[in-house]
Amino acid sequence: MTPAISALTNVYLQRPVRQRDRPLIGITSNTVPWELIRAAGFDPILLSPGPQYKPSAEVYLETVFSQRIKSIFHFLISNDSALLRAVVIPRTSEQEHKLYLYLREVVRQGVEQAPQPILYNLLHARSPEAQAYGLERTRALQFTLEQLAGHAIEPDAFSAAIAEGNAARCAMRALLQQREGPAPKLNGSEALALIGARYFMDGAEYALHAQQALQEILARPPLPGPRILIKGPPIDTPDFCAAVEAQGAIVVAEDDWWGSRAAGRDIDAGMEPIQAIFEKYYFDAPSPRVFPAVVADAWFQRNVSEVDGVIFHLPQEDDIIGWDYPRLRAFLDDRAIPHVMLRDTSPDEIGVFVRRLENG
Amino acid sequence: MAEKQLQCTLRAAEHQKAWFAQLREDVFEKQKPYAIVQADMPLELFHALDVPVVSNQWWAAMVAAKRLAPHYLDGLNALGYHDGLCRYCSLSLASTIAGDPAQAPWGGLPKPALLSARLTCDCIQRVFETWAAKLDAPFFPLDAPGASELPPRWWELSRYRWNELFETHRLDFMVAQFHSLIRKLEEITGSTFSLDRLRALMEGVNQQEQYFDEVREMICRAPQTPVRMHEQVSNVMAAQWLRGSEWAIAHAKAFRDEVRQRVDAGVPACPSENLRLMWVGAGLWHDTDFYTAFEEQYGAVFVWSMYLAFGPDGYIRYGLDHPLRALASRTVSFNEQLHNPPWANEWIVDQAKRHRIDAALVLEPLGTRPSATGNLFIERALENAGIPVLPVVADMVDARGWNGLEMRQKVHTFLERV
Repeated sequence: MTPAISALTNVYLQRPVRQRDRPLIGITSNTVPWELIRAAGFDPILLSPGPQYKPSAEVYLETVFSQRIKSIFHFLISNDSALLRAVVIPRTSEQEHKLYLYLREVVRQGVEQAPQPILYNLLHARSPEAQAYGLERTRALQFTLEQLAGHAIEPDAFSAAIAEGNAARCAMRALLQQREGPAPKLNGSEALALIGARYFMDGAEYALHAQQALQEILARPPLPGPRILIKGPPIDTPDFCAAVEAQGAIVVAEDDWWGSRAAGRDIDAGMEPIQAIFEKYYFDAPSPRVFPAVVADAWFQRNVSEVDGVIFHLPQEDDIIGWDYPRLRAFLDDRAIPHVMLRDTSPDEIGVFVRRLENG
Repeated sequence: MAEKQLQCTLRAAEHQKAWFAQLREDVFEKQKPYAIVQADMPLELFHALDVPVVSNQWWAAMVAAKRLAPHYLDGLNALGYHDGLCRYCSLSLASTIAGDPAQAPWGGLPKPALLSARLTCDCIQRVFETWAAKLDAPFFPLDAPGASELPPRWWELSRYRWNELFETHRLDFMVAQFHSLIRKLEEITGSTFSLDRLRALMEGVNQQEQYFDEVREMICRAPQTPVRMHEQVSNVMAAQWLRGSEWAIAHAKAFRDEVRQRVDAGVPACPSENLRLMWVGAGLWHDTDFYTAFEEQYGAVFVWSMYLAFGPDGYIRYGLDHPLRALASRTVSFNEQLHNPPWANEWIVDQAKRHRIDAALVLEPLGTRPSATGNLFIERALENAGIPVLPVVADMVDARGWNGLEMRQKVHTFLERV
């Protein structure tokens, strides 16, 4: 492993929340505008603590909450969150809205301490009203961040933040290209780490490491094995990819924001900054609340023709993608694309599916 | 089935049945439009354009009461929808997919002209889009921004100061969405929306909820409750689905009058009332006998559920100069008021105190995840107020995992301690 790959992998696995040059602001999803927080003079960092945080959260969060949200909640009420000036929580999932409300409530009741929660009411239905509302709320978020920073965001700061964000996206897309086509050079468990590290790093630093990692990957021979796309709730660890790849397949895509959809397109640097930032996060960021289905399914439908098979990974805590599964399964059946649905990480079931693909 | 003590309860049931028969006749024979909607939708907009609505949750309760939920939900699972998905909001879809009008309640749902829902939880858009495709009817969503200003004692502000209680940007957004929904309804009906008619309906809703407020007050003050919880629900919800209509107002008044007669005559619902119970959460629609199962042995009577209490606190809006905005204020925060802190826990504790509640049973519906939140805050708040709590892990419509005998035994054990 080269130093760049090693550095990115370590950041991804450790997900450190530590002091940097600028004050830190936590974010909970891909739909919080990184560039806006950065332009205001903060370092945005995705909160994704490990499962060790779960037990205390269950005093407040019911069993229906996902492991990810429980972990974030507990992190935020722990002393470890003292480094954060605030946490921006988007209206990108129902669980995140409830995370916001619960966090406020434990502070209101005086039973816990937590960083200031800021709700970013970005909606995901494609309607003129939701679009106008989202733009207005993005401007409101700008105002909140400026108040927190104690100064207005200067045009140069917007430009610099957008350029930094776009450079990181460009580097991610270059890595993602190594998963595409008939001869991928990057497997899923490694790709998730190299891409996911972006959420925990400075954009410029990430771009530099990612470009170095790319040079090593380009020199590799293609990886053998059936090419798999994974569809399910976002995969925030490499474990499931590793389980699939242990059976001889290569995970080349994930329809979620930790994997293949992490970068998307650039923010238009020629537009008015807030408008451009909003449009990126409204039109080009995956969310469980994107509506209608024809929009939500578009990426999946475009990309499944490039793989040998699809694994629907719907773990026990899923209560969303399960609604999409029969529709997407029908889409694959119409095109004779092999698929399997798994509710846990069963090596036997994965193995049977991979053998099926290998045997044509 | 528990006895019906009020004449009103019988009349409510008869009216619902006749109303639905008329709806089917109008749809099948006169091709009149009707809509299927989520319970938290602004029904008043539909009523103002003479579009009858069937609430998803009402229909699910009907299906569950007919003990059809296991069959329908098994069918949904067989199509590939796994068994961890929400059931309350999808049971009606499952009944449509099953497509057996001979077995369905009252002949089943005819094809609607429109389906509509607020996008509160992340699965609702999926349930309704799937349902709309199955019925070959359009789906009109209202998106739902989250609340970020939540004064704890919201019910003290909601009647007169609703314009302050709910954030301006959320009200503006909801009104903008209402205009789009109105255009859609005008397109369907060929009629023109009238703000004056909406205002009159809203005034009617206020009147109706004032009667319910009086009933609630009588339940709070009477030495023993004059009306059991499940009869409160039957009477209230029959009117709520038609709120603001002549029938609904008249029924609410008749309900108030009959309860008042019982109070004046000193007639309790359960003469041996000894413990006053609170039911937190949606109804246990597949086993409503549960609510009277503890009267004989313990004199334990369910006196409170959200259905009656939320009427006056959640619906009344005074100052109707801008009826669309007032309606938006009624619509934007249903979920926060009933299921999320601080609004749900603060309100329920206040209600418990006013109703002299001795113990609370809190539904924890694992099969309907969005309704399962806020419960730990509610339970803790009740216990801090000195009210013992028993969590009831069950689904409101799905009887497949329900062991009625076992749960009754748990309640017996709990009541022994109370």
